[in-house]
Parts: sequence; C-alpha cells; structure tokens
Amino acid sequence: MKKVNFKLQNKIGLGHFKFRIFHFSFCNCALVFALLLSLWVLPAALAAQPQDLEEQTRAIAAELRCPVCQNNSVADSPSELAQQMRALIQEQLKEGKSPAEIRAFFVSKYGDWVLLAPPARGVGLLLWLLPFVALGGGILGVGWLLRRWAKRRAVSPGAAAARDAEIPLPESANPREYLESERERLKAELKELEFDFQAGKLSQADYDAGKLEMETLSALMGKRMETVPARAIPPKPARESAARVKQTTAVAARSPRTWQIVGGAVFLLVFGITVGVFLTQSLRPRAGEQDMMTGGFLTGTQSSGDAASLVAQGRAAFERREYAPAIEAFKKALMADPNQPEAHAYLGMILAQAGHAEGAIMAFDKALAVHPDFPMALWGKGMLLYQTKSDPAAARETLQKLAAIMPPGAEKVEVEKAIADLGSMPADTKRPAQSAPSKPASTGSAKPVEKPMPASSAKLQGVIEVDPKLKSKVESQAVLFIIARPAGGGPPIAVKRIARPTFPLAYSLGPEDAMSPDASFSGKVVVSARLDKDGDPMTREPGNLSGEYKKNPVEIGSAKVEIVLDQVQ
Amino acid sequence: MDDPQSSGAERPWRRLIVTLAAILPLIGILAYGFYRDPRYIVSPIVGRSAPSFALTLFDGSKLRLDDLRGKVVFLNFWASWCPPCRAEARELEAAWKKLKDKDVVFLGVAIQDSEENARAFIKEFAITYPNGMDSSGKINIDYGVWGIPESFFIDAEGRITYKHVGGIGSAIVVAKVDEARRGIVSAKEGKGDYQSVR
Repeated sequence: MKKVNFKLQNKIGLGHFKFRIFHFSFCNCALVFALLLSLWVLPAALAAQPQDLEEQTRAIAAELRCPVCQNNSVADSPSELAQQMRALIQEQLKEGKSPAEIRAFFVSKYGDWVLLAPPARGVGLLLWLLPFVALGGGILGVGWLLRRWAKRRAVSPGAAAARDAEIPLPESANPREYLESERERLKAELKELEFDFQAGKLSQADYDAGKLEMETLSALMGKRMETVPARAIPPKPARESAARVKQTTAVAARSPRTWQIVGGAVFLLVFGITVGVFLTQSLRPRAGEQDMMTGGFLTGTQSSGDAASLVAQGRAAFERREYAPAIEAFKKALMADPNQPEAHAYLGMILAQAGHAEGAIMAFDKALAVHPDFPMALWGKGMLLYQTKSDPAAARETLQKLAAIMPPGAEKVEVEKAIADLGSMPADTKRPAQSAPSKPASTGSAKPVEKPMPASSAKLQGVIEVDPKLKSKVESQAVLFIIARPAGGGPPIAVKRIARPTFPLAYSLGPEDAMSPDASFSGKVVVSARLDKDGDPMTREPGNLSGEYKKNPVEIGSAKVEIVLDQVQ
Repeated sequence: MDDPQSSGAERPWRRLIVTLAAILPLIGILAYGFYRDPRYIVSPIVGRSAPSFALTLFDGSKLRLDDLRGKVVFLNFWASWCPPCRAEARELEAAWKKLKDKDVVFLGVAIQDSEENARAFIKEFAITYPNGMDSSGKINIDYGVWGIPESFFIDAEGRITYKHVGGIGSAIVVAKVDEARRGIVSAKEGKGDYQSVR
C-alpha cells in the first residue's frame, strides 16, 4: 500500500508533504484513541473483579425463590433470610464454586421449590410444555370454531328448506305427489333467494351456498322420486335423506346448544362453589406482618380457632387502632381459652382508653388472677389506679410489683415516678406494699410455672399432687382452684386459680390471692384444692377431683402445706 | 334407529362427556392448588445425613454436631419473637427433663434473633438444655429452615430421621426420639402451628 501511495504521490509530485502530514496525524489519532481507550477500559478492567462478583451473586440470587416472601426472588427480597442467602452465595463464589454448584447447594437444602424456573423434568417438564400445548390447542380450537361458524352461516339460508324437507310424510299421502310439491316449494324459495340477492340483501357467498343447498336438495328429491313407488306408504328413503340433512344442519345447530348451556351452567355452578368453599377455607386474615395468608384445615395449620392466634389477631388490630375487631378477637380468644391473660389485659387497655375505668380494672384483675406477674396488666391496673387516684395503696403495690420485674428504660422511669408520686399521697396504710417476687417478665403464656417463691410470712406454700389411682381422671383443660377458708367457717378468703396445671405442682397462696383487697390474710385457715373440669368455680361437675390439707386448719405463713387430690366428686 | 331424533341425541351426551373431561381436571388442579400451602417447602434433607456445624453455646462453650455421633440429637430452631416458639418452649423443657438421662442431646439454635432477647427467652422459660446462636444464618440455611419453630431428630449415625415444622408437643418429642434411637425414618413431616422466618 505504502509503495503504491509513494508512487502515486511521486507521480502527483506535490503529494509527499501532504502524505507526511497525513501519516503524522494518523499516528497521532491512533495514539489518542489508544489513550482514550485505555482510560475507558482501565477502570473497568480494574473494577471488573468486585463488580463481577456482585453481578454474579445477583444473577444467581435472581434465580432462587425466597422462602420467606411469596413469589419474590432472593435478589429482590428484603427479608433477613434472603440477605443471609445472598451473603452465602457471595461466599461460595469467592471459594470458587460455579453458579451451577451453588444452585445445586440450595436445591439440596430447599428442594426444587427454591428454583424460580422449575427444572425441565418430571412435573416440571409438564409446566414447561403445558403453555405450548395450551397455545397449540387454543389455535386448533379457534380454527375449528371459525370453520364451523363459517359453515353454519353458509348453510343457514338453506336450513329452512332442509327443515321443510324433513317434515314427515303423512302416511296416507302419496309420497311422489308430496315430494313434487316440496320441489315446487324449493323452486319458489330459490327464486326468493335470487330476488333477495339481487336486492342486495344477501352476500354472494351466502347466495351461492344457499343456492347450492337448495339445488342439491331438489336434485336429491328428484332422484328419490324415481325410486319411490307411486303408492308406497312409508317413504323411507326420502326420510332418511331428510334425516341426514337435518343432522348436518338443524340438530347440529339447535339441540347441542341447549346442552352447551346446561354444561356451561353446571360448570359455572361447580366453579363458583369450589372457589367459594375453598377460597374462604384456605384464607384467614393476617395476624401481623410476619403472618402468612393461608391457613385452616386445608393447609393443616388449623389456627384460626385457637386462642394464641386469635390473641395475635387482636393484638395486630389493637396496634392498628381498630378496636372493634380487636375486641371481637380477644373475646373469641377468651371463649377458646378463658385463661388468656393477654386477652384480658388488652381488653382492659381498650376499656381504659374508652374511659371505662372500672371495667378496665376488672379485666386487669382477671388477667392477674391467671398470671399474677403479667406486666401489661400490672401496668394497666397500676397506671389507671394512679391516674384516677381512687386507690393509691393498690396503685403503689401494683406499680412496685411491676417495677421489680421491668427492664430498665423510659417506661420504668415513668413507673418509678408514679410510685414516688403515690408515696407523697396520703396512702392507705392498712396494707403495706409487699416486696414483689423477682420473676422474669412474661407476656405470652397463660400457664404460670411452678417456681419456688421467695419465703414470705403471709403466705401458704406447698405442693399439690394427684392420687396415683386418679391420675387418669386429670383432664388437660381442667383448672385448679386452691381455696383458703377461715378456720371458723365462712366464705373463702383467698382463692388461686391455675389453668392447665401439671402435677406435682408447687403453689403459693398469698395476699395477692385474697378475695377482697381489704380482707386480712392472716390467722388459721382451712386449705383445700379442687380440679375443676370446666373452670367455672360456681358449678360442680361429676368427676371433679378435690383434696384437703391433712392437718387443717393451718396457720398462714406455713410452708409444706401438701395437698393430695384424692376425692372424686 | 330410523327415528331422526335418536342419532341426534347421541351427540349431546358425547359433548357433555368431552366438556366434563376438559373441565374436571381443571377443577381438580384448582382444588389441589387451594389444598396446598404455597409456602410449605417439603424438605429434601430428611433421611440424609445431618449437615455438620459448630455452635457457640450461650454458656460460652463450643459444640460440634460431629462430636455427638452415637447419640440421638434433638435439634430445635427457634426465635424469641416467634409466638409458636414461645408456645412450645415449656413442652420442650418438659421433654428434656424426661429424656436427659437417656443418652439424648437436646440442642436449641436461636436464629434471626438478638443475643439479649434469646438469653431472656431462655431465662423466661427456664430452659436447661444447651442453646446457641446462629447469627450468620448458615446453620439455618444448611437445614433448609423456612418456618419456625422447626425441629430435627438425628439418630446415632448422624442421619435426620424426622422433621417437624411448627410447635411440637413433648409426647411427640419423646416418641420421635425413641424412633430415632431405633433408626426409624419418617418421611412425612410433622406439622404444628408455625410462622415464616423473617
């Protein structure tokens, strides 16, 4: 090239200098270009490694289904598990594992479920093929339908003639005569058709098809007339042909339509019932953000009826400030399990917010009867009593009990401030505030644990057992009442209620179990216990177990007050 | 036969059958879809050897699953924020009290939790069997945990014999530990009240 150029330039003479300039500028351009290229490529090349890893992680994560959220990939999900999975993918990539190996790892843990695109084998293959099969079937179906409609439209002008042709011959009539008259009629109709066509009422295609149909029928009748004897009574051939005509036209158009309507109606009905029944059965309202939508007998997670999930539902509604559904849920929870302290406490909170202080205190007391250390009930009762200033002593006692079990924080400061405030009020000194047992806070369970209580002089402590012979009669839903009556007789002065007890059970009966806050819990008492089947202290069912302390009466403050449930009522 | 109606009447029946043959499988698929919990993940690891791991327990000691070969291991994944975990906590402790002298190891793994809350949970329910934290989520993913609580039973040879998703009662724990001791694998997973991990 250069040689040619040189020669060319030499020939031109002037060109040499120009060529030099051109040559220089070409070099320059290439250099600049190379520099620019390096400027553009270099950072990319330098950044290639980490960006690649991020990209690769994302690519793999995008193919995995997040186990927490429905129909979200691990790449898109904000959940904690998805974050952990992404970190693990990155770690495995750094270890040099291939994307296929990493996918296989997750499949080995979560099964094929974890792949957003199911593998093309087994049932998965069906998933891949089915859309194409459906598409093909749909195209075929539409084609078939279109053809049928086109045919039916073409046939319809002749359908009247065909219907006429199939009118059964009167047995007494002369078939030949009858057929002749029919042919005449067909001719007349054909003329009418021609007239309609010329008047522009019919399309060329319709006219052609109708004409063809009528001419065929007419020809058929003519042919049959030759074979039918003048006096033959059953004109079979004519009827058969007429029947065939009918089959292709009238019946095909009319009778199956009713079946289609019936079939469609049945389908709609079955579909409606299926959706109505299954959808309502398999969905329940979410109790919270974390909760899943499905539930009920279909998925085996029968939880809409149990107290815990109802309380969760109520709690969620309460937090959304939707009090009516919250009250409903808590009431339902209490119907399922009357010893749900949380449901009582929340009802108390709602009542307090609505201004029903007395009702609220009752609800908190119910919660505390089941679970004496239930923080929410202690908080509600204590603060309500403090704010209404109706019973400063009780308020102080409740709040002190709460302060003892509260973790430090702003709320505790508030409680302590209230206690200090109450201390400066003229308090009822009849009942000194007792030292609160140092139990950890519990919010969830209705079942108080058997724990050794701190020794206190105003308490009865001991263990309740069931006679080994009667163990089979203990029902899991039963409620245990521990009752202390005055030695001289009279109504109980203290009752403790324990839901679903497990035996042997360590108990403690103290002033907090007193029937009325003013009753003094001291002196000699008769202690007994009853395991009540339905939990209602007012009713007596056959089969309730009961027992007494053998050395009744006993001085309050005694320990080892052992009771054996050995009597069946 | 020569009645024109009879030949016409045969077709609607055929049509009905064809229509139903097309519709019923669709309704069947629909019903099956509703029957299934779309989030339920059937674990492929039941019957396989349990993924090994090392766990730092709350008392500071280290525990390796491989060191427990020869013993039946009950492995429970939980979190303090999960109500079904709270519901089963006492049951598990009751089962542990029944079984602790019988060459069984109970092991609790707190997942997606803060150490403070997990410790408070253990204190609240007075749990005495060993527990540790899986803060990176590796053990959690290794066992394919998606709903909590989840419990795994591992036999003396280190094979997973049974998986239970959701709250489990002490009676089932005792029965399944016994099965694991005899090497019986239950392919069907148990189900209780559960909730999705976070």
